[in-house]
Amino acid sequence: MPRREPRSTRRAAADPGPRTPDPGPLGGRHERPDARAKVAGSTRYVGDLALPGMLHAAAAVAPVASARVAALDTAAARAVDGVEAVLTAAEIPGANLVGVIFPDQPLLVTDRVRMVGDRLALVAARTQEAAWQAARLVKATLEPIPAVHDPVVALAPGGPLVHDGGNLVRTFQVVRGAAGRRRADVVVEALYHVGGQEHAYLEPQGCLAIPEGRSRITIIASCQCPFYVQQAVARVLGLPLAAVRVEQAPTGGGFGGKEDYPSEPAACAAVLAFATGRPVHFVLPREMDMQGSTKRHAMVIRHRWGADRDGRLRFAEVDAVLDAGAYAGISTVVAERANVSAIGPYDVPSVRVTTRIAYTNNLFGGAFRGFGAPQVTWAAEATVDRLARAAGLDPLEFRRRNLLDDRRRRICTGQLLRRPVLTRECLDRAAALAGWDEFHARPRAADAPTREGMGIALALYGCNLHHGGQRLDRSSAVVILQADGSVVVRVGLTEIGQGNLAACQTIAAQALGVDPAAVQVWQPDTTTVADSGPTVASRGAHASGMAILDAVRRLRTRLDPVAAELLGCRREQVELAAGRARVAGAPDRSVAVAEVAVTMSARRIEAIATGWYRSKPRRFDPATGAGEPYEFYAVACHVARVAVDRELGVVRVEEVSAAHDVGRVIHRDALEGQIQGGVVQGAGWATTERLALDHGRLVNPSFTDYLIPTSADAPKINIAIVESDGAGGPFGAKGVGEPALIPAAAAVRNAVVEALGVEIDTLPLTPPAIVAALGDAHPFAWVAMEEEHEHASPETVARGR
Amino acid sequence: MPERITVTLTLNGARRSFEVAPGRRLLDLVREDAGLIGAKEGCGAGECGACMVLLDGAPVTSCLVLAASADGHEVVTVEGLARGGALHPFQEAMVTHGGVQCGFCTPGIAVTGAAVLARGGDAADRTRLLAGNLCRCTGYAKVMEALDDAAAKETADAPA
Repeated sequence: MPRREPRSTRRAAADPGPRTPDPGPLGGRHERPDARAKVAGSTRYVGDLALPGMLHAAAAVAPVASARVAALDTAAARAVDGVEAVLTAAEIPGANLVGVIFPDQPLLVTDRVRMVGDRLALVAARTQEAAWQAARLVKATLEPIPAVHDPVVALAPGGPLVHDGGNLVRTFQVVRGAAGRRRADVVVEALYHVGGQEHAYLEPQGCLAIPEGRSRITIIASCQCPFYVQQAVARVLGLPLAAVRVEQAPTGGGFGGKEDYPSEPAACAAVLAFATGRPVHFVLPREMDMQGSTKRHAMVIRHRWGADRDGRLRFAEVDAVLDAGAYAGISTVVAERANVSAIGPYDVPSVRVTTRIAYTNNLFGGAFRGFGAPQVTWAAEATVDRLARAAGLDPLEFRRRNLLDDRRRRICTGQLLRRPVLTRECLDRAAALAGWDEFHARPRAADAPTREGMGIALALYGCNLHHGGQRLDRSSAVVILQADGSVVVRVGLTEIGQGNLAACQTIAAQALGVDPAAVQVWQPDTTTVADSGPTVASRGAHASGMAILDAVRRLRTRLDPVAAELLGCRREQVELAAGRARVAGAPDRSVAVAEVAVTMSARRIEAIATGWYRSKPRRFDPATGAGEPYEFYAVACHVARVAVDRELGVVRVEEVSAAHDVGRVIHRDALEGQIQGGVVQGAGWATTERLALDHGRLVNPSFTDYLIPTSADAPKINIAIVESDGAGGPFGAKGVGEPALIPAAAAVRNAVVEALGVEIDTLPLTPPAIVAALGDAHPFAWVAMEEEHEHASPETVARGR
Repeated sequence: MPERITVTLTLNGARRSFEVAPGRRLLDLVREDAGLIGAKEGCGAGECGACMVLLDGAPVTSCLVLAASADGHEVVTVEGLARGGALHPFQEAMVTHGGVQCGFCTPGIAVTGAAVLARGGDAADRTRLLAGNLCRCTGYAKVMEALDDAAAKETADAPA
């Protein structure tokens, strides 16, 4: 366990980037490079692509969650007019495997169905209608096997096994300080059931596979991680990686849902394309997308936390179970983040966290913005509020007494946070924006049918990939100076709506001292940049930006001497700003960067440079959870104000005030857009987004039944940006995509609890959950009791039953 | 029922005829027959609004409209919102206010927003009228800012 952070780590925290003599575009609001084409409707997503001879794919899927496959009859499917191929597992040229980390998930099941939506056969047909009609006609004889849908039950001995090796996928732990409840005067115990979430990106999953005989293939995919898709396709086709080219299409939202899952439709399309020799389009209808794709993991979290009578946390025990669903997918990585995030940004002398991952026959969990942290944050912030109440302290005051800060900056894994630790700043700024003191000083009618409440929550977010994923934490960039002075940038991380193109453009323009409009960033293609890992963990701007800065540095070893010659100065004196190369200290001696580019071109000087980034090695012990799980951390604090209709149980999130420690702003509109979108997505998860599973089947796979927030539901959002020089990535920036969501639902929960005066330990806070929590206090308690017999209780729903 | 029927409509200001199957959706006519890919299919069930087009000036989810029912009517897609080669003021405001993220819902929002502006009303009306267009990226804040800004400019530019 690192006892002392070496000075060098702290200093080199952020590569400050090249010296910038004028402000440049950094932190500004210049037009996003992708906005104009998108708003005009001229951006071509994968569903907008078509090629001559192109076929359409469909998949025959299992309608039940657990069964043995006794027989599979494809004759009727083959007979459908327009069908060109119906494939079963035997016809996969390479490995029948799509598991990302564990080899537990086949592309097509052969003997055993483990979840609703398991693929049995693939169809390619001349029309989409024919393909899905044929898929429905694939006749599977399925013999039921007992299923398990509760992750806690799944871990108890003697129950049905999802996989032969047992239902416990893995256990993670954090152990810190002496065990026990010494000096705790107040102890709180609670059991939280935190439900999953559907990503609900507006563009469904989709890809286009274009074969070149059986020797190589191009995949154009809506995805976050082209290199994951490349690996998955190479594996099912039995091809070397170099024979699989994956180009990221403009991608209509991801939120984690296009991290791991797109490998599956891509593998399907690739297998069909090789079998037919024709391009194959696979765009999932919304219902199939929602039924078959990964979800945010449901979790069951048991807490026992204690504080002394001065309101100082003494110990925290967390026993969390993560419902992986039928396949492990990336659940271990999600659990790693959940495990070290379970205590929040608090200084606790004694910590015991256990996070277990359970296989069940539910839809499988995957990446989703926050990656396990939102669930444990929801629980931690609920418990902190309980302890504050028990200690008779205001929730802000209780948090102030326990927050990590510049003096107490050792997190539960023993890692020392880099200074400055901006927890108090974020708390104070969010509380001020929300008018916390004024709100609580105002009298509120105790008998009003609609009750108001205000709640607060914080998150400490480990930026970039966890220690366990460090082998993936590298990134590649290419910068090409064109003969006219414009600049091409290629990176390995994707634009999925979050603004990575704008961020990369800003970073390159800042580093080269040119106008952002002179820089064109093109979406990733696995043949133009090296494997840059996934676009996840709020690492997009960081990983691609660091690689761009490295590429610019290398380009300048060739550019600066040419500029120096044109300017008649030494190369060390060259600085780039405002589109010109100029002599440091004598800005009137300058030449346009475009003119330098023309000269470089005329002299045939190499005008392309590559850049590389890899995170620094860290120490971490997975057995004890001790060490440095993440490179650096960001703080977020949200304050929510809600109005709750006690009779109907409807929660309205009126206003959210969000304070974020972001290091440095790269592009202000993109940053604010991330925060606003994250808050609303978190508020939706908190209140209306219920994954209703019945024996493992999603019974609400539509936007009519699965309710994401509309413009009429979105709260007013106030934003405070806290900048600092302490740590981070390019120019000192930290990731924000996930911190934007993580505390939102917890703040909403705490606000609702304040409004109603009863604890609520299930998410989401749907009307039935509110009514159930009110119990006898509900104005029509007897109605709720009668309905209990007809509907699943919120607890059951949250557990995914 | 005939194999194909003729649908004649005004599409983005031009009179056009298409031979379509009776069950063809207006969305497919626009995207596949006319090649206007701006309208998107997000759900195919009239829930998300990504396929919005204007039918005689009113926003409709074109995935739920039969192409045949547009016969003799006027259809405007996102491609037809531009005025004199420039983006519609709401589209321009979406760009300047940062209201565009992944962009998949954006054409539908542009179409609905244009109709909302034409209709008039206050900020609360606009928020309510845009509720048929789902967006998962922006949290709507910058979209509504753009719409409010475009509405304010429209009012300012209106002849007294």
